Amino acid sequence: MTIGIPKKNSVGFVLGKSGAYIILIIGLVATLLPFFYIIVSSLKNEAELRQTPPDFFPKEPTLKHYITILTDEKIPLVQNLFNSIFVSLSRVVITLFTSSFAGYIFAKYHFKGKDLAFGVILIQIMIPFQVVMIPNYLLVVKLGLIDSLWALIIPAFVDAYGIFMMKQFIEAMPGELMDAARIDGASEFGIYMKIILPQMGPPLASLGIFTFMSTWNDYLWPLIVLTSPEKRTIPLLVVWFQTQHVSNQGLVLAASILTLLPIFFVYIFLQRWIVDQATSSAFK
Amino acid sequence: MAINTFFKKEIISDSGKLMAKQRRFAYTGIVPILLYMGLFTLFPILWAVIMSFFSYTPIREGSWFLGLGGQNPFVGIKNYIELFSGTGKPAEVFRLAVKNTFLFTALVLPMNLIITLPLAVLLESIGERFKTLFRAIYFLPTISSSVALVIIWSYMYAPGWGLLSIMFKTIGLVPPKSWLQDPNTIYLGVPLAMLCVVVAHVWQDFGYNLVIFVAALQSIPKTLREAARVDGANLWQEFWLVVVPLLSRTVMLTSVLTVISSLQVFVIFQLLTRGGPQNQTQTMVLSIYENAFRFANNLGLSSAMSMILFIIILILTVTQFRILRTEWEY
Repeated sequence: MTIGIPKKNSVGFVLGKSGAYIILIIGLVATLLPFFYIIVSSLKNEAELRQTPPDFFPKEPTLKHYITILTDEKIPLVQNLFNSIFVSLSRVVITLFTSSFAGYIFAKYHFKGKDLAFGVILIQIMIPFQVVMIPNYLLVVKLGLIDSLWALIIPAFVDAYGIFMMKQFIEAMPGELMDAARIDGASEFGIYMKIILPQMGPPLASLGIFTFMSTWNDYLWPLIVLTSPEKRTIPLLVVWFQTQHVSNQGLVLAASILTLLPIFFVYIFLQRWIVDQATSSAFK
Repeated sequence: MAINTFFKKEIISDSGKLMAKQRRFAYTGIVPILLYMGLFTLFPILWAVIMSFFSYTPIREGSWFLGLGGQNPFVGIKNYIELFSGTGKPAEVFRLAVKNTFLFTALVLPMNLIITLPLAVLLESIGERFKTLFRAIYFLPTISSSVALVIIWSYMYAPGWGLLSIMFKTIGLVPPKSWLQDPNTIYLGVPLAMLCVVVAHVWQDFGYNLVIFVAALQSIPKTLREAARVDGANLWQEFWLVVVPLLSRTVMLTSVLTVISSLQVFVIFQLLTRGGPQNQTQTMVLSIYENAFRFANNLGLSSAMSMILFIIILILTVTQFRILRTEWEY
């Protein structure tokens, strides 16, 4: 039966295994090297940053660029950080509610026009943002939201993809508990709050993490609707730094690392979940 | 139990009333959400379609209807004709942008697959603990801020002292004088700057397809691959004759997704090369953005550009749904 299968300690097997590891580690280095290079570069002083050719590692590591960014009053970092956190968290809370609520109704209720309504949701998934960014911008101007953080939050109240994902999850829940709750006199909204929501920890967490990350990293829409420095989100601040501080690249590097850090921090704890979610979402 | 059944009977006899109550609840919940989607999704798409048939600039006086008409006249399909064959600067740049967008996509897709497919097979073959670790690290660029990644790559590509120039010198090659700004270095019809953007983008994006392929490989029943080995297939044959055919649907689907997302890449083009040198990395999305928001040109023309992008993506999305609908069993 086992003829032809390489034995665990045969030469071919060991060579194959170590070959696999060598290629995988080369990939690993290629992935991490760019990150690593700007982290060590951000610790160089101005003279070392200007040096040609540069050394890979700083001779006298310094945290001065980080300190400048964090303490200089001319740089609205704290305000911009607050903006990013405020917008990201607001969008997480609102999206989780609208997605789970609409997903619940689509999954568990029958009503006229349901297919049509769901079709509208699918349309949103199919329309790329770039196609509607001009009318969206004009709409935000008409609503008086331009240069306001609300311009990042209000148009994103409803997330079609989130509704789709939640509907799939809730459809798989058994209906008996809901019927039992109805017998006990629960309202339909009460069923959502007391029966459905408590079972939705994992999908809500996944959707929440994704909404947070994509909002935190979002660049194009904030670039279009925000203009004043104190309204900027973190990615806009980094770009502003890059155009302003051509002479002081250390600040730009430190700013980009500060942009990456919160996401990396979340990722360290939730990586398995995030990767699994990304995998399964592609096929639903 | 008995009491429950009793109540259930009552509910069934009363089901008309109950159904009405549930329907009312469903409508109360769905109608606001649909109105919202109407305002922020359907209305903008219609607006974009209509605007593409007008010559429209927001500062000019128009009618009550979306500011169109009046000094923003209806021009029929003139915007589209201009884009296809006109001699205006925006139209000329846009035609170049369409070509560049397709070139970018045509380079990204094979490069992505050449990296992710073998890497996924290797990743799938190693122990569980290392697999999780490697997968997590490969996925790191995917979750990172594109803006920060552009800063990273502007350091990689810095002329003379960037990491890539240093690496070239270390292994005895002569690095290009300028990675991103020299319009005259062209390999097999691909400008160097475009090649650099492709590499940076694939680096940023490959983790996504990789984890999908790893998951797809895991779902292939082990018995199939073992059967091939029993029949005397070596690893190479096993890969081409068993894994690839079983993976073909996943590969097709991720390819379509990769193409759709490549057509929409913006940040890296706007920040790393700014469309240059000499518009060699100008893309459709960058054109739409620059015409509408940087030069504040005729928004009707920009909307016509978005419509062309939309039609291309729509065709691909329909293809994607077609693939998703095909039944598949091992």
